[in-house]
Amino acid sequence: MKIKSLLIANRGEIAVRINETAKRLGIKTYGIKTSKESNALYLRLVDDVIDFAELVDEIPEFLDVERIIEAARSNKIEAIYPGYGFLAENPYFARRCEEENIIFIGPSASAIYKMGNKTIAKQIAQKHKVPLLQGSQGNVKDIKEAADIAAIIGYPVILKAAAGGGGRGMRIVEKASHLEKMFKMATSESEKAFNDPSVFIEKYVRNPRHIEFQIAGDMHGNYIYIGERECSIQRKHQKLIEESPSVALDEKLRREMGEAAIMVARSVNYYSAGTVEFLLDDDRNYFFMEMNTRIQVEHPVTEMVSGIDLIELQILIAEGQKLPYSQDQVKLTGWAIECRINAEDVQAGFSPNLGIIEKISFPRGKNIRVDSGVTDYSVITPYFDSMVAKLIVHGETRDKAITAMSAALRKFWIRGIKTTIPFCQAVLNHKKFRRGDFNTSFIEKEMTKLYYNDEEDEMLAAYVAAFDFAAELETNRTTKPDFERGKNISPWVLNKRLKSL
Amino acid sequence: MKLIRKRKDHEHEYIAVTPGDDKYVVRNPFSEELRINGHRKEIKIFENEEGFTFIEFKNKKYLAEITDKSQNKYTVLLNGVSYSFTIESPISYRRRKYLEKYKQHNKIEIVTAPMPGKVLELLVEESSHVKEGEAILILEAMKMQNEIIAQVTGKVKRISVKAGDSVTKDDVLMEIER
Repeated sequence: MKIKSLLIANRGEIAVRINETAKRLGIKTYGIKTSKESNALYLRLVDDVIDFAELVDEIPEFLDVERIIEAARSNKIEAIYPGYGFLAENPYFARRCEEENIIFIGPSASAIYKMGNKTIAKQIAQKHKVPLLQGSQGNVKDIKEAADIAAIIGYPVILKAAAGGGGRGMRIVEKASHLEKMFKMATSESEKAFNDPSVFIEKYVRNPRHIEFQIAGDMHGNYIYIGERECSIQRKHQKLIEESPSVALDEKLRREMGEAAIMVARSVNYYSAGTVEFLLDDDRNYFFMEMNTRIQVEHPVTEMVSGIDLIELQILIAEGQKLPYSQDQVKLTGWAIECRINAEDVQAGFSPNLGIIEKISFPRGKNIRVDSGVTDYSVITPYFDSMVAKLIVHGETRDKAITAMSAALRKFWIRGIKTTIPFCQAVLNHKKFRRGDFNTSFIEKEMTKLYYNDEEDEMLAAYVAAFDFAAELETNRTTKPDFERGKNISPWVLNKRLKSL
Repeated sequence: MKLIRKRKDHEHEYIAVTPGDDKYVVRNPFSEELRINGHRKEIKIFENEEGFTFIEFKNKKYLAEITDKSQNKYTVLLNGVSYSFTIESPISYRRRKYLEKYKQHNKIEIVTAPMPGKVLELLVEESSHVKEGEAILILEAMKMQNEIIAQVTGKVKRISVKAGDSVTKDDVLMEIER
């Protein structure tokens, strides 16, 4: 069945991204308007807007299962696309869609449930002999049990929220004496974030790489893997720079891990696109971590090297179509890198830099892609994540891709907020990153400065301040405005004058 | 004659002082005779058609923005990195330096919130002793729990917040006496 209408139950860049593909496929798109960003870019791009003006029962708009279902039903919308975050990995939401005969663009509720519960997911992986890290056989009851298991598998260990993700409810315990404190932190954090305090425990692998495999399956039992993504550049478990392929893999290991990823997916009759995450240690042993049953933020790097539109693929699969490619037809060319440009003040410990984007200009060019949900005057609010854009470049080789990314970042101009651009630039310029010699502790170990700049930057900034100060004094001295001199005047003073006109 | 000239020079000299008390003496900011810390510099300021302001120096372009200013205090964003300066005249600079000599060293370390968030738990009490590097408070921000670490060894003199309080960036959390 061909899908003709689609409710995008998300916001920001992913709503823009989904809308683009859906429209290209001739699907009528609907967006959800919230009072928190009633002027958002995605609302201007969708065909129709459904207004969630006020909160109902204090439930955040994009988490309100029944309200979203009702919106789809009353507008006779055939399908819902959840994107990432919010309801994307909520099996109850997928089930409600199934019950209401609305097509949920994603896997079945049962697959989401099994993979969403990390304990079940690990049991499944173990059953299929996919390598796993040693750990608890499920959630740990209390500190005593955690201590017993930790004593067996040895410190350091990691505590993880059973329902978790995004680094929340996750704590590394270096030694036995820290366990009690960390256990309390992990359980209270997961209780808060996921309404579920259960945590499990596993061996903590030092210096691992985070390698994830993009897979896709249809409803007819066909599966493909579309290469890997290297996501080791992360800070506090939040990815910052991703690339595909990874320098750590060769063809043989790629095939082996890709097939293991498919095995995990197949065991839960997974259909749609999905991601299987592994840790890879120094000796190239890989361990299954979890499966993400949704589109990933970093999916564009896979699209850039494969030429496959993953959103389109998800829609086709949801329509019941067969995968249009066999494994042999999946061809990966060149190298793609993605930088996440977040509104964060790196100098203030990456704290969110809320505010209005006064002006924004993206780099353009062949092999450059920008996925963004903002324009001039967009507001970075405390209600949602701080992402401004994802900048993705493609090059023939890794070196060329890095050079192209560095050049593109220099042409990514933004005024009004601070972003992670200088930080990304510094990572790209780092010798170890260039060599491909890094793991998930790269940022923690190598990027310890508060900010990164060139020697003369501070002097130039001092000049800007002194120039402006002097220009203001000058204008205050002249009693009559002298427009003849306007052309020589400080742009800042000029701007101010223009604004006051 | 000489004296007048000297005064005129001073009018066109501005000292940008960093928080670390480094200084950049900018002379003749508008003219080609621009000197910074005594060295001739060729720096251009221009605006592009999109309305962004750039500094051009040694054939390189730098995106520049004044993000904050009040009186003589400036925050400049250059290529995405913030720099703070106080702009002073040579006379006021000398006067301040003179006064600073007589200022007593501060014995109180003020702990402020590094980011907006909610105080989840206080790990110390008033008058408890803390060691440098010890966690003193847990601040929840963006649903992450962050440990606030004591930067000095000393005694907690005052706690200005309690568990459950919402704080904004730079709010005072506690004072530690060295």
